[in-house]
Formats: sequence, structure tokens, C-alpha cells
Amino acid sequence: MSHDTPAPHDSAAALPQPTTRARLKSVASNPLFGVVIALIVIFVLSSTLSSNFLTAFNMKIIARSLAFVGLVTIGQAILMILGELDLSVGAIGGLAGVAGGIFMVQAGLDPWLSLVLCLALGTGCGLLNGLLITKLRLHSLVLTIGMAGVYGGANLVLTKGVAITGIPGSISFLGRGMVFGMPVPFVILLLCLVLVSFVMIRTPLGRYIYAIGSNNAAARMLGIRVDAIRVCAFAAAGFLSALAGILMVARLGTAQPSIGDTWVLAPIAAAVIGGVATTGGLGSPFGAVLGAVIIGIIENVIVLFGISPYWQSIVSGGIVVVAISFDALARRYFNRES
Amino acid sequence: MVLLEASGIRKTYPGVVALDHIDLTLEAGKVHILAGENGAGKSTLIKTLAGLVKPDEGTLVIDDEDALRDHKLFRRVAYVPQELNLFPYLTVAENMFMPFARSGFGRITVSEKAMEQKAESFIARFGIHARPNQKIAEISVPDQQLLQIARAATQENFGVMILDEPTSSLTARETERLFRIVNDLRAQGVAIVFVSHKMEEIFTLGDTVTVLRNGRSVGSFAMEGMTEGELIRLMSGSTVKLDEQFQPAPSSRTGETILTVEHLTGPGFEDISFELKRGEILGFAGLVGTGRSEIMQAMFGFRKVQSGHVVLDGKLIAPNRPDKAVRSGMVYLSEERKHHGIFPMLSVRENISLAVTRNIAKAGVISPRRENALVREIIAQFDVRTSSPAKKIMFLSGGNQQKAIIGRAMALKPRLLIFDEPTKGIDIGTKFQIYRIMQRLAEEGIGIILVSSEMSELQRCATRIVTLYSGRIKGSFDHETTEISTLVASIIGSPETSHVA
Repeated sequence: MSHDTPAPHDSAAALPQPTTRARLKSVASNPLFGVVIALIVIFVLSSTLSSNFLTAFNMKIIARSLAFVGLVTIGQAILMILGELDLSVGAIGGLAGVAGGIFMVQAGLDPWLSLVLCLALGTGCGLLNGLLITKLRLHSLVLTIGMAGVYGGANLVLTKGVAITGIPGSISFLGRGMVFGMPVPFVILLLCLVLVSFVMIRTPLGRYIYAIGSNNAAARMLGIRVDAIRVCAFAAAGFLSALAGILMVARLGTAQPSIGDTWVLAPIAAAVIGGVATTGGLGSPFGAVLGAVIIGIIENVIVLFGISPYWQSIVSGGIVVVAISFDALARRYFNRES
Repeated sequence: MVLLEASGIRKTYPGVVALDHIDLTLEAGKVHILAGENGAGKSTLIKTLAGLVKPDEGTLVIDDEDALRDHKLFRRVAYVPQELNLFPYLTVAENMFMPFARSGFGRITVSEKAMEQKAESFIARFGIHARPNQKIAEISVPDQQLLQIARAATQENFGVMILDEPTSSLTARETERLFRIVNDLRAQGVAIVFVSHKMEEIFTLGDTVTVLRNGRSVGSFAMEGMTEGELIRLMSGSTVKLDEQFQPAPSSRTGETILTVEHLTGPGFEDISFELKRGEILGFAGLVGTGRSEIMQAMFGFRKVQSGHVVLDGKLIAPNRPDKAVRSGMVYLSEERKHHGIFPMLSVRENISLAVTRNIAKAGVISPRRENALVREIIAQFDVRTSSPAKKIMFLSGGNQQKAIIGRAMALKPRLLIFDEPTKGIDIGTKFQIYRIMQRLAEEGIGIILVSSEMSELQRCATRIVTLYSGRIKGSFDHETTEISTLVASIIGSPETSHVA
């Protein structure tokens, strides 16, 4: 070697050229990589295996049923990125739904006013979760298990387990109507997703949420108001759950006490499939909703194929496991050395 | 006798050549120092020697056999990582002999008694202050560090021991214990690789030194006849003036008071009062565990305060509210870079811009153009070496992470900056860069507090040094009129005023 004291920049000349593998690796390191591949595979498989899958009618069914879990998933994804979890989102959705029934039918309030009150109720429930967790320094998982019991119990006390019928037709458009050829709940989901994604990517608040999830103590040291943001996130998740609940009431035309029963685990699974880290700091609401789409398609296909309802849970659960394993394996393959 | 020979080792990661044709020979009964600045490739090299990283090219021969082909040979290498990685809720003995199969204690059932008995001998040999059945969480950090070394030594018939900056959380007394252990091992014919930034250690222990710079080997040299200046020149590639001082110019002292702390009391410290004037770098000296960081974090609102108050620029700082402290211009740079500094999963760009999201946002929306411009400016100004601002910060070397964090703090335009052990685990070249930054800031009128356990660092930078002992202020010394020995006497609590809290 002619010169023995290389400047730091010299090493740049000797850098390895990006190989195909390196390029693949950078694509694979994107948190959305796994979920997009899985979605494509499932979509193509379903379309070839069933002629009833890729029809306008079936797509509308999927879109409509996706909307409710999708809304809850957005809220849960925000919390998971923050490093929290709320297991009472389903109970909040159910409580907000039956409260809507009570406001509209039993109290005879204006349906739109009732809608606003329901959303306020859900936001309030989320706010209460957040305040208890931050003020008493409780673990969110444990606290929200307890609160799920409280909100679910309030639901039963109010309804005695009986559905409230006679929901006014004026809000049924929200659950059953169509705009731009798409079901209204699905359009509402898209609007919420665009708004939340924008906040997460392009505003200080979104950056703070990622920062807190990545390193809570460092965020505090930097002067970020960690507890205030955590409370807000729980409130947002409560709001989104209540929105899902009231849309479900509008769609069914009755306020069922059982609304929200299935909204606890599916959104968490969807978020994980969509690349949201259970430890916080990674992923996006968009990815989480794509995860929810996968789960929605699987549930739809099970029905289309006429699989026995007794097997449905095993099949959908199994596919979730396969989807996240595939993602993890792909990641490990491309990150083997580091 | 040569135990391990590495030649032509090359390792690349996407975007970086971490190691470029490194040769290294380890001989029995010799201490081989590995020196180099942060990011020079020391960590990658020792991980390669320990069999944890597979090189792209080169050969690695252990006991005259090819270790890259026969991975079992790496059992001859005992590796002590720099970071503590013990099981906090298991006992000292369990930690020492984990995994049990390796140490012969876990064929079917684990015999606590036999294990604890055997642990006793290691505890005595390594001078660890702990009982075999104590939980790790109950013993001190220095003892944990020594335990890590003891654990590596339980590996049967190891021939090479690699110690990666083993003294970074040890006090002077424990460092001495460690030196005795290293000397013992050397006498037993173990080949030791010792990574360190501290000159006294390098010159006390080393037989041979290999200097790395930018992933290349500058060469291996005998320590005999080596001088400090020469070694630093080899490491940094430039001449650093060893006697350079970094006190701010006296002309910047106007007598204006920036910070007043009065009777601050909280868990771990009592009745702390002091003042910081414009143009000063106020040093805080004290042994590990005397409450230095606790006091700083309490001032900043990160820890609970029982009584007392903090006034910055004439305004009272609300207790327990770090966000308000930051808004009034107080910024604290923690000693724990990993736990309190970086956001490991976020990019260098996001790590820097987080502090100033408001300045780069228009009507509440972040402008990527402004963000990039600001981040590029800070990266250039503070010489943060990264292949791209989009790289996750956890993949940067410690020194570059630290410079990114200082740059971020500066973007906040602080009135008072608290540096808590700012050069821990950082090479000399970067150290001096950081000293120069502190000096410049102090001259610009920003209040600087420097907490350090390195006396030479305080002597180089501080205008006044406050000593702490057992959670209380012991004295306040002017840099110009004070000898190091006076400071040392003060921080070890000697003699007449020795005080037990």
C-alpha cells in the first residue's frame, strides 16, 4: 500500500457495491414487506380457488365488515407503537353502542346528538384508562383487563343483556349506505386512516409517539410530555372504538350488548401481522390495517369455501401464525449477519 | 507460544468496511492491548476472535487449527463483553455457571450446594463482594462487572481471554483488583486481549499493542519504549496536545449568575447548594454512587425532590417536570446513553430532529425539506459519522451516537447544559472534540456543568470543581489553585470531616 494513513473518506472508495441481496435486504427491512407479500399471496390464492371471491358483491362484504375491526385496529396500533396496549377497546365499543341505543330509543334524543354523546363517552372511557395508567403508574395491560370488566359490566347493567331495537332510520345510512361505490363505514375507516397516518408521519405528535415507544426515558429527558401523550393516545383509541361501536349499531339497526366482543384480539393480531412491534416504536397504523385486511379476507374465504364453522377458528388462527412466521423468517434471512 | 493467529481478516457490512485485512497474533502469557478510536473496528475484531462474527475473508487459527472450519475451537476463547448481561433475578452462583451443562452442574438436576461451593473459590479469587446465593440485583455494579469476568473464567481450559473495556464502571479500588486478576491470568499463561481507552491502564498492563484506525491495522508494537504521545498519534492519525486546556477564556466571565441551587434534598443526596456563573464550566467530582447523577436528574425534574429549589436565569424551575425544565433552557445529557439518550429504533435523522420538531414544522406539519437541512447541518457541525441520516442510530459507534445527542441538545438552544460523563467509552480524538464544544459554549455564555469521574477531564475543562461525598457537597475548589491530590482526598471523604449519611 502506497499510503499508510488513509483519510476517513478513503474507505468509501472500497465500499462493496450494493448487491441484489443487499437491495432485497433493504426492501425486506421495511416493516410493510411481510404484510404486503402475505396480502398478495392470499389475494391471488383466494381469487384462483374461488370464483365467488373477486366479485364486486364480495368485495363490498369484505370492506364493510373490515371497517369495524379496522377502526379499532388503528387505535390499538397507535397504542402499541407507543408501547402500550388496551384490552378494553372491545368493551368500550360495546358500551358506546348500547349507550347510543339508550340515548336514541329510550331517551328519545336526536340521533346525531346521540352519536356525538357516544363518541364522547368512548373518548371519556379511553381518557379514564390513560389517566389511571399514568397517574397511578399502572401497567396498561393489567389495568385495561380490569377496565374491560367494568365497561363490559356497565353494558350488561344498562341492557340486562337484551338488545335495544328501534334505532331510528336516519342514522342507518352510516352503517348500510354507499358512497363512491363503497360502503360508508369503509369510507370512514379510510378517512380515519389517512388522518391518523398523516399525524403519525408528518406532525410532532406522531414523532413523539414513535420516540416514546422506542425509549420512554429518553423521551422524558428530551422534554417530551410523555404522560400527556399517553393519555391522549388512550383517549383516541377510545374514540375510535366508540365510532366502530356506533357504526355497528347503525348497520344492525339494533344495539346488541355483544358488539365489540371480538374486537380485542383480532386488532392486536392485525397490528402484529402488519409490522407493529409488540415492544413499541416500530410499525404504522397503515400496516396494521393491512393486517386487518388479511384477517378479513381469511374469514371471508372460510365462509366462501363452506368450511365447517367449528374449524373456522383453527384455520384463521393457523393462518395468522403462518403469516407472522413468514414475516419473521424473511426478516431473519435478510438480516442474518447483523 | 502462539495461541491464536488471525490474518487478512476482512469484514464488510452494507455501506461500511468494518475490518480491512487485519493481522493479529496472540501469545500465551501476554497482554495484548487493542487500541483505536470509536468506530475503528475494535468491537467487530474482538467479536470475530470470539467466533461471534464470521469474517468475509481471512484465516483464524487457534491451537494450529482452522477455527473458521471447526467452530468448537472458539471454546478456547473466553469473551467478556463491555455491557453487563447477567440474569438479575438469579443468584451469583447460577449466573457464574450458566449454562449448567457447560459447567457440569446440570446433567439432570442442578445441585445448588455444589455450585455454590465452587462459586466460593471464584468469588475469592476475583475479590467479588457477594455471597454465592445472593441475587444479582442485590450486588453492586462493579461486583457485577467482576462477576462477568469470573463467569468467563469458569469456561474450562480457556487459553484466550478478551476483556472489552472492563473498567468502564469500576472505581479505582476495583480497577486495582481487576489488574491483579489480569496479572494472575498472564502468569498462568493465558493470552489476554484488553480493549481500553484509558492511557494509565494501557501502560500499566500492556505487553503489546495493536492500533486500529478506520478498520485498518496501523500496526502492532511492543509497549516497551512506547510513549503516550506516540500512541495517541497512532490512534488518531494526528497530534493531540496532551497538556491542552479547555477552560473558557476569562473575558467571558461577567459575574452574571445563570443557575442557583438551594438546599436541594432528595433520595440519595442532601442539602445541595451551589451557583453557576456565566463563563464557567462547573465540574462535579465524586466516586461512582455518591449521588452525582441523582442530583443532576433531580435538578432537571427527572427525579423526585423532597425540598429545595432550582433557579435558572432568575426563574424557578418546577420540580418533577423535565418538559418544563427543557422549555426553560435546561438540557441534561445522561451518562446512560443507551437508556436515556438515543431512540435506538429510529433513524439518526429522527433522533436529531425530535428535539426541534416545532422549528421544522409549518402550521403543525413537519417539512421534510427543513428537517433534512437542519439534520445535515448538525451532522456536519458535530462531525457525526454515518453512511446516511436514514441509518438507525443503534448501528452507529458510541462516540458518534454521543455527538449526535450533543448536536440534538444544541439544536434546542439551551441556557444550561449538564454533561454527565460525556466521554464515557469515547476515544481521545472525539473526547477533545467534545471538550472544545463545551469550551465554545461556555464562552458564548451558556452555563455548563460537567460531571466526571476522570480527574484529568475535570482538570482540563472545569473552572471550578465541586466535590461530593456520600450525597453531600464536600467542598468547592478553584481549578487554578488546586492539586489533583486535594480533590481526590475530598471525594474519598478523608480525613477529618469524614461523614456518614
